[in-house]
Amino acid sequence: MDLYHLTAARMVQGIKEKKFSALEVLDSCLSRAHSLENHLNAVITFSEEKARENARKVDKAIADGEDPGLLAGVPVLVKDNMCTDGVRTTCASRILGEWKPPYNATVVDLLRGQGATVTGKTNMDEFAMGSSSEHSAFGACHNPWDYDRVTGGSSGGSAASVAAGYVPLSLGSDTGGSVRQPAGFCGIYGLKPTYGLVSRYGLIAFASSLDQIGPFARTMEDIALGMNVITVPDKRDSTCSRRERPDYTEALRTENLKGKKVGVVREFQDYKLDPDIQSAVERTLKILEGEGAEIVEVSLPVTMDSGLGAYYILAPAEASSNLARYDGVRYGYSAPSDDLLSLYFKTRKEGFGTEVKRRILTGTYVLSSGYYDAYYLTAQKVRQVITKEFNNAFAEVDSIVMPTSPSPAFRIGELLSDPIQMYMMDVFTLPVNLAGLPGLSINAGFSSKGLPLGVQLVGPKWKETDLISQGSILEKTFGPARIAEGGAKQ
Amino acid sequence: MAISKEEVKRVAMLARLDIDEKELESMAGHFNSIIEHFNRLQVLDLEGINPFVTEDTEGTPLREDIVREWGKRDIALKEAPDAEGDFFRVPRIMGEEN
Repeated sequence: MDLYHLTAARMVQGIKEKKFSALEVLDSCLSRAHSLENHLNAVITFSEEKARENARKVDKAIADGEDPGLLAGVPVLVKDNMCTDGVRTTCASRILGEWKPPYNATVVDLLRGQGATVTGKTNMDEFAMGSSSEHSAFGACHNPWDYDRVTGGSSGGSAASVAAGYVPLSLGSDTGGSVRQPAGFCGIYGLKPTYGLVSRYGLIAFASSLDQIGPFARTMEDIALGMNVITVPDKRDSTCSRRERPDYTEALRTENLKGKKVGVVREFQDYKLDPDIQSAVERTLKILEGEGAEIVEVSLPVTMDSGLGAYYILAPAEASSNLARYDGVRYGYSAPSDDLLSLYFKTRKEGFGTEVKRRILTGTYVLSSGYYDAYYLTAQKVRQVITKEFNNAFAEVDSIVMPTSPSPAFRIGELLSDPIQMYMMDVFTLPVNLAGLPGLSINAGFSSKGLPLGVQLVGPKWKETDLISQGSILEKTFGPARIAEGGAKQ
Repeated sequence: MAISKEEVKRVAMLARLDIDEKELESMAGHFNSIIEHFNRLQVLDLEGINPFVTEDTEGTPLREDIVREWGKRDIALKEAPDAEGDFFRVPRIMGEEN
C-alpha cells in the first residue's frame, strides 16, 4: 500500500517506529498530488523544497532520539488565506499578485512546531467568499468524486486534497460554512471550532467576527489530533480565548451516548432536501438513538427564516471593511495610475473578482448612511435572537443534528449565474457561525449517484469534545472516509 | 424599494470600486434579490434587544505597554509594489478632477 493512504496518526506512528521515513511519506503524498492535480486544481502553490527540508529535519530528529511532535512527518496543506512566511499567499485573488507574507499564521507555526510538513497552499473561493471554489483567479477546483462537480467552498482545495489522498490533514477556514460544506461535498470530516478557539493571527480576514480555522481529515482520530495541535491559545489574537483546552483525542474513547439528548430542528421538516441527504440525516439519527441518545425536537424559527438575511448583511459588511486595505499601496497588484484615487479604483477593479465586488458593494451599502439602522443594526439584533434560540435549544439537548447542505455537490457552472441560489447552499451552516458555535460535518455515506453525503452536528460553545465523541461513534457505522480514486462522471 | 443603478454607483464610489455599465446592471439586480432576504428581518420583533451585548466572560486581554520591535520592516517594504527608503510610495494625491 502506498504511504499516502495512511492516516496522519498511522504516519506518525510509522515514522516514530522507523518503519518508513518522513521523506518517503512526503514523496508518496507529493507523487499522489501531482498525479491528480491536472484534474482537481486543488493546490495554488506547492512548496516542495521547504517541505523536503522539513521532512529531513524530522528524520534527523528521530535518528537522534528526539520527538519531533504530534504530527511528526505528516504532510499537510493549508488554505491559501493563511500566511506562510516567504511563500506566496494569494487568497485565490489577482489583487495580492505574487505577494509573500513576512510571517507565518499562528496555525502554520503550530503545525510545524509539531513536526508537520506544510507542502503547499490550497485553492479556494477568492477571499473565502463562496460556496463552490469556482470564484478563484486560478480556476475552479474539481471534486475528486466527480471531476464535473464542485468541491464546495470556500475551502474547496483543502477538502479535495484530503479526499483525494494528497495529504491526510489540511486546514480550511469557515465563515459561513466554508469548512463544513466542502467536507460534506468531498466525503470527509470537517470541523469548525467555537469562535475564539483557534487563533486567527495570520488568517487573512474576511469577516472578523465569524472566521474560524478548522481541520479536514478522513478519520475522527485525525480530526482530534489536528485539534490538539491548532487550538493552542495565542496572545497575538485578542479574540482567541485563553481557556484551557482539553485533549480532544480523549473524546474518541466514548463508548455510547446513554443519557445524551440529540436535537432535531422542527423548522427543517418542511425544508425541501435532496432525498439522499434526507435519508443520511435519518440514518444518522437512528445510529445515535441506537447508541443510547434520546432524540428531542427543538425549535429555531428565527434562525431558519432570517439566518441567511442576517448573514448576508453582517459578513459582507465586515468584508467591506477588511478588504479596504487592498488598494495597491502595500502589497500585491498595483494598477499604474496618475493619482492616488485612480490607483484605488483601478487596482480594485482589476484585482478583485465579481463575487468579491458583489460582497464589498453589499457590505458598503448596508453600512452606509441612511441604511445602517435598517440593515446592519437590525442584523446584529437578529444575530442576538439566533444566538438565544440556540442557547435555549442547548438547554434541552447536548447537540443538534442537521444536514450540512440541502444537496450533494452540484455541477461546475450550475449556480454561477444565480448567486442567491449559491448562498442558499449554506442555509444550514451560516447560523452556526452567527452564534459562534462549533459544527462538525461527518461522512454519511454516498448518494444513489455515488456522491458524498454530509451530515452536520452542532454543539454548544466549547463542546467540540461532544461533537468528536458523536462523530467517532458514527464513524463506527459509516466508516472512515475513503480516498477518492478517480472522478468517474455521475 | 428597488435599487437603482445610480444607487449602486454611489455605493461603488464609497467602496472605491470602479464598476462598468454592464456590471452596474447586474449588481443592481443582485441587490434587489438579496434585499428580499434582508426585508424578512424587518418583520421581526426586535424591541429591547441590545445588538452589541456579548457572552464573553474573559474580557479584553491586555499586555504590558512595552515597545516591541517587529524587525521585518525591510521585508514588508520589499514586497510592496513601490517603496522608497522606509516609505511606501504612491502617485500624487491630487488628480485632474480634484
